[in-house]
Amino acid sequence: MDRAAVTWWCAATGLPWAWEWRAYPGVWIFVALLAVVYSRTFRVAGHRIADRHAAFGIGLVWLALDWPLGALGGYLASAHTGQFILLALAAPPFLLLACRPALERAPVRSALRFLAHPLPAFAIYNTVMLITHIPRVVDALMPSQVGSLIIDLAWMAGGFALWWPAVAPARYRRLSPPLAMGYLFVQTIPAIFPAAALVFGSYPLYRLYELAPRVTPLLTPAYDHQIAGLLMKVVGDPIVWIGIAVIFFQWANAERRADLATPSGNR
Amino acid sequence: MVVVVLVASLGCSEAAPTPDLAGALLPKASPRPAFTLTALDGSRFDFEERTRGRLTLLFFGYANCPDVCPATMANLGAVMNKLTSQDRRQIDVVFVTTDPDRDTRDRLAEWLGRFDRETVGLSGSADELAQAQRAAGVGVAVRDSSAGRYTVSHAAQVLVYSPDDSSHIAYPFGTRQAQWAADIPVLLRRWTGPR
Repeated sequence: MDRAAVTWWCAATGLPWAWEWRAYPGVWIFVALLAVVYSRTFRVAGHRIADRHAAFGIGLVWLALDWPLGALGGYLASAHTGQFILLALAAPPFLLLACRPALERAPVRSALRFLAHPLPAFAIYNTVMLITHIPRVVDALMPSQVGSLIIDLAWMAGGFALWWPAVAPARYRRLSPPLAMGYLFVQTIPAIFPAAALVFGSYPLYRLYELAPRVTPLLTPAYDHQIAGLLMKVVGDPIVWIGIAVIFFQWANAERRADLATPSGNR
Repeated sequence: MVVVVLVASLGCSEAAPTPDLAGALLPKASPRPAFTLTALDGSRFDFEERTRGRLTLLFFGYANCPDVCPATMANLGAVMNKLTSQDRRQIDVVFVTTDPDRDTRDRLAEWLGRFDRETVGLSGSADELAQAQRAAGVGVAVRDSSAGRYTVSHAAQVLVYSPDDSSHIAYPFGTRQAQWAADIPVLLRRWTGPR
């Protein structure tokens, strides 16, 4: 293989789109690195659920970064938003849950404890989310592999910040279930700004996606931007709501078990 | 596949940006070109005569173009469709194919219709098309036949002819919808002086 032809990370190339598989070795190395870090640092023998969480979370990361979605992220704002949803909203809770058994045994780290507070978590996630949706930032970073990698890593970091207060080990002063549900709901609110700009903007927001070679003639830049904005709220928010629902049902089950365990005379 | 965009002999590289317009001002105004091609309904279309005194946006390209043409025509079409009917009536968007073999009238009508149904599509023989490009002052498109599904290298800028029947400004590839939307009302009212 011609060394110069190797593309390590998906980025906007400006070349016409073709449904031809392409290799992105940097993505594979990154995904393998996640698996190695999990198995060497965070894996606790016997925790099969954690293993499944890790596999699913890493699978989502891979799906977001590799061909075709990763490559389409250089052509379509909607695909770029799909990557955001997977990297910032869907994968992080699974990866954090996968690491939780190990973190419950390890010494408490003050930085992680600080990040479990809702205010810094809210600030970090929304700063990342808003900055990485500014047109100048997207147009400047996405055409380069390093820039695209920075956006992807920022989304993952933002996603970890978003979910950490709700799924951290209890020793990190994880939010109580009612607070966690409220906190997660509030986290979905600021995304309405970029989503609204995408859906209701008179003209396409991103130069990159306005002028990119079309993937299909049916998907004009205007439709593409509108779909991106809708995905952000119609798919992105429900993922967080699913997290809220899981917390609710786990809380309800815990309460029921506690009630059943309590002798009736003491109620 | 990479479409190599020919540097137009209009000399866009020498053109200066205008302070209030996104296009590049030409160092010297050029007259509205004279050429006659075939419209999509089969009639002959005398460009100079039919567009005289009107704001005219002229673009050379082809329907199978993988990058520049669909982006340019989509952006122009999106803006044309948002203009007031009064402004839209004062503008001609003319698309001249550089790939007459594949751009049949039906194919061109279908393709242009995706963007703006009022766009005038023109075709002709290879000689006629070459003459039209020379008259407009752009490099003559070249077919890249190295691949099975060939591409065509062609001028990528949109040539703008003002109501004074001269071209003072050209818009390079990369002009955005918002820029067109801001500039078209200005273009309609500027360079309207005596011809």
